[in-house]
Amino acid sequence: MNNLPFIVIAIIIIIYIISSIRREKLSVSVSFAWVLFCIAMLVLACFPYSLDWVASLLGISYPPALLLTICVSALFIMSFIQDKKIDELEQKLTNTTEELNILRAKKNGKK
Amino acid sequence: MKARTIVVIPAHNEAETIETVISDIKKEIKTADILVINDCSTDRTEARIRCVKGCTYINNVHNMGYAMSVQTGIKYAKENNYDYVIQMDADGQHLSSEAKKCLDAAIEKNADIVLGSRFKKNTGYKSPFFRRAGTSLFESLIRIFCHKTIKDPLTGLQVLNRRVIEYYSESGAYPEYPDAGLIIEMLMKKYKIIEVPVKMKQRKNGTSMHDGFFSPVGYMIKQLYSCVIIFIKFVGRRYE
Repeated sequence: MNNLPFIVIAIIIIIYIISSIRREKLSVSVSFAWVLFCIAMLVLACFPYSLDWVASLLGISYPPALLLTICVSALFIMSFIQDKKIDELEQKLTNTTEELNILRAKKNGKK
Repeated sequence: MKARTIVVIPAHNEAETIETVISDIKKEIKTADILVINDCSTDRTEARIRCVKGCTYINNVHNMGYAMSVQTGIKYAKENNYDYVIQMDADGQHLSSEAKKCLDAAIEKNADIVLGSRFKKNTGYKSPFFRRAGTSLFESLIRIFCHKTIKDPLTGLQVLNRRVIEYYSESGAYPEYPDAGLIIEMLMKKYKIIEVPVKMKQRKNGTSMHDGFFSPVGYMIKQLYSCVIIFIKFVGRRYE
């Protein structure tokens, strides 16, 4: 069982995520992707040969290359999604601040 | 003393129906105030609301979605000391006479949450396949987790009392889809939830947030996940 450390790590991360949700430090919808990630890690750690099988299906002769490709693309996609989200939040914040400023100006005018 | 009631209607591009919905409510529930939350509609919804007298409205600064619009309304109700919130859709699906029935039930039976249920009695309401599948899936989930049968957990017609208004408006984790998961949470927190059989009209125009194929499937997966997580979140504190 040389995959035991990965199983332990995945389980610890899942427990950490759930306890964060219980303490209301993390929202349920945000946790979804991370729990999926951990489950994938658990599956791979428990059945390492599944990677070989998928690699041979895709015609990749060196299975670890598949793992690395998947990981790198997953990280790439996640960072892109986060960037998009930050941009969106920034725009919303600007809008909200502008509206607030206008409201304040109206209030000052009434005095 | 009479209970102060407010009808909260989130609206996104509902120019065709919003006026009728509001005037129906005025006819049926005379004592209630009306609050429309205009969630950045791109059609003439705002102009239509402005035409109606005696109706408060909020224009969201940006498009916040259904749940956050509802929460805005609930927060407004808390600020202004309302005793009951009636949550209704702007598309004309929910009838105000049925909403009145739910409100009366809430007062009479002293319930925290009243759900207007399409499936409690056979009302002849036909819903698309995914909706039926989702309804029965979440019905059984609620039965497993909370040992209570809720026939229509995805209903949008709800009446909330003061206790629930306070709880929802303080909740930092108000969910993206305030239905099955939220019902599980409230049942586990020992709130009294009852169902009242109601008639609903079939949707005539506009699009539902659950139309298409990917949107309902994604919704079901997310909601299933959140039901399980919410159960885990509250299971240890059930008897606190």
